Amino acid sequence: MAMAVGKKGGPMNDINVTPLIDVLLVLLIIFMIIVPRTPHGLSALVPQPNKNKKQNEAVLERTVVVTIDANQQIAINQTPVTMQDLGNRLENIFKTRNERIMFVKGDPNIPFGTVAQVIDIAHGAGVDKIGLITKQLENQ
Amino acid sequence: MAVIGKAPSEVSDINVTPLVDVMLVLLIIFMVITPMLQKGVSVDMAKAVNAVDMANANKTNAVVIAITRDGKIYLGSKVINADEVTSKVKDQIENKLDKTVYLRSDARAKYGDVTSVVDDIRAAGVEDLGLLTEKVERRPGVPPSATP
Repeated sequence: MAMAVGKKGGPMNDINVTPLIDVLLVLLIIFMIIVPRTPHGLSALVPQPNKNKKQNEAVLERTVVVTIDANQQIAINQTPVTMQDLGNRLENIFKTRNERIMFVKGDPNIPFGTVAQVIDIAHGAGVDKIGLITKQLENQ
Repeated sequence: MAVIGKAPSEVSDINVTPLVDVMLVLLIIFMVITPMLQKGVSVDMAKAVNAVDMANANKTNAVVIAITRDGKIYLGSKVINADEVTSKVKDQIENKLDKTVYLRSDARAKYGDVTSVVDDIRAAGVEDLGLLTEKVERRPGVPPSATP
């Protein structure tokens, strides 16, 4: 054959693109999924025990305390309520209030998930500050 | 042959072997990497719809306390005793402006364990607590709402 042979000499392979694409796609997918995730959370407050007794009493009259007993029954200030109604009831209560403060008290033997759900619903109903009542606060 | 028309172009069947290889490798990589991504102890966090972003919990100087299902308490990745919580938290927040402590509690941990840790945190002078949760779109057990 009378081909002019230029700089190219001998049999040459074209790059096989398929494995290259495979590897690159895999790397891309890995990095798309291993993206650092921002932690999400519910904010809660741990009220410091108030040394001023008079102030305590004034606050206590109007506080909303949600209690969860050992059977996972929820009550708002002693009125039993179901988990589904909790959101609506809280919204109604806080419609007329300026200070959106609520306290949560739970039986020590219930799983934390239940309490987290109650706090979650409360945040959804528009309560800003949720205080956790613990043994130390009660003995105050 | 008197066939006039287009000759059938070559059609190849998909070669499944490399596909399976790639998928298996991906699977193994994720199975190995995902537990390592969590800083600290692995905990099944509670699910919450209204969780807010708490980006500060990822910072290296953030005080993160984890409570596992059986009640063990971890400050960062080290186990600590229940009575050390107050002193250790006090040390850690001494030089910080933002005295928020983040609590990564397992959803099935007893609330009594959580309250005693919260008591100790309160005794260290902390007022703001961040309960870290997993963000979900819908609360488990609630059917999807009819109105979009």
